[in-house]
Amino acid sequence: MRTKKCLTLAAALFCALPLVAHHSVSAEFNADKVITLKGVVSKVDWVNPHIFIYVDVKDESGKVTTWRLQSLPPMFFKNSGLTKAKLLDGVEATVTAFPAKDGTDDFGFLLKLSYPDGHFYDLGNGAAGPPPPGK
Amino acid sequence: MKFRRSVQALGAAGFGLAAISMVPANVFGQAPNYGPPATSYAVEAARYPDAAKKPTPHMPDGHPDLTGVWHHFFGGIIGKVGDNSVALNFGLSVPHSTAGGAPVFQQKPDPMPEYKAQYMAKVKALDENQVKEDHTLHCMPAGVPRLGPPQEIVQTPKQLVVLYADLTGNHWRVIPIDGHHNADPEAEATYNGDSVAHWDGDTLVVDVTKLTDDTWLGDNGLFHSTKLHVTERLRRVGDTIQYSMTADDPVVLEKPWTITRTLTLQPDTLGEMPPCVDNDAGHYVNLEHHDNAR
Repeated sequence: MRTKKCLTLAAALFCALPLVAHHSVSAEFNADKVITLKGVVSKVDWVNPHIFIYVDVKDESGKVTTWRLQSLPPMFFKNSGLTKAKLLDGVEATVTAFPAKDGTDDFGFLLKLSYPDGHFYDLGNGAAGPPPPGK
Repeated sequence: MKFRRSVQALGAAGFGLAAISMVPANVFGQAPNYGPPATSYAVEAARYPDAAKKPTPHMPDGHPDLTGVWHHFFGGIIGKVGDNSVALNFGLSVPHSTAGGAPVFQQKPDPMPEYKAQYMAKVKALDENQVKEDHTLHCMPAGVPRLGPPQEIVQTPKQLVVLYADLTGNHWRVIPIDGHHNADPEAEATYNGDSVAHWDGDTLVVDVTKLTDDTWLGDNGLFHSTKLHVTERLRRVGDTIQYSMTADDPVVLEKPWTITRTLTLQPDTLGEMPPCVDNDAGHYVNLEHHDNAR
């Protein structure tokens, strides 16, 4: 399975890059579909093998749903300046993510947090793409 | 195994910086199985290029002093963008040569251990089911030797304290020098085993026994028996350590398996790893995974 992936050019390059994580993203998340949410980060679990970021998303009726988003291993963030405190700034962000493959509600793989003042945290290596116009 | 194939593909095609920039934007989508070679050693060496040429410090007893931070599990591949933004940047993880900018893959792929014929099918089965079978993917300790070379060493004339900040948590070993094995002969085998060290000239030789067979030698289903005997050799050369690990398991291996690493003295501290929490169990829909080379 993994061998087959490494035979393609892009995958060969990617397999050769020194990254560390755990299982494959594709073992849990649908990398062919990007969902977009608007919400406030309400909790961060700074743990191995991946940090988890919780985003409170309010629907039109005011009901709040907390999304649980897997992200990258904590050591990836070394010297990045991005901390738990910065993530918990209380500002509403536009959030993109891959949804869970197993059908679990409100669970995904975080790609990017974008804020109204223009700053962003792109943790999906560009997979999120630019935020949709008007969002 | 997979990593070796990938690197060979890279080398054969002679890719350079341009190739790295060809990594598609949607890398998770197109190649979600991102597997790591152990080039963090190359990153660390690039920080201190003349380290091996420095004088080798010695303890008052005349033996080389191995004290220092020598290696980090991995880190720092999310880069700053402007004042307030960050972006994951795979290119940060690979040092580039000053001439031409080609990525420097200093680390040669490890040889694979040679298993006795009757155990090859078991290795293959464990490899294919690593997501289920590999305890480290569920936050259990990697153990010796999979834990890798020392990350920090504190040396006294009588003992070596070795510290590790690993994906699976924080681990330590206290190794008597010129002493004897400490473990109660009737005690249960452990993840890091029972180590004792002696000097062979300028090389410190560490002898490890009583290792649990709950661990593997490395990724890809490399299981071992409780008869595993590990010998580590550490020789300080300037501000580097030439490290080798030989795993001898007469039950499952055809012959002893040796891997080597060059460690470079690091200027920073060994940070505490956050705990490992297995939040993924139950969400897997397939067995796709990748290596976690140490």
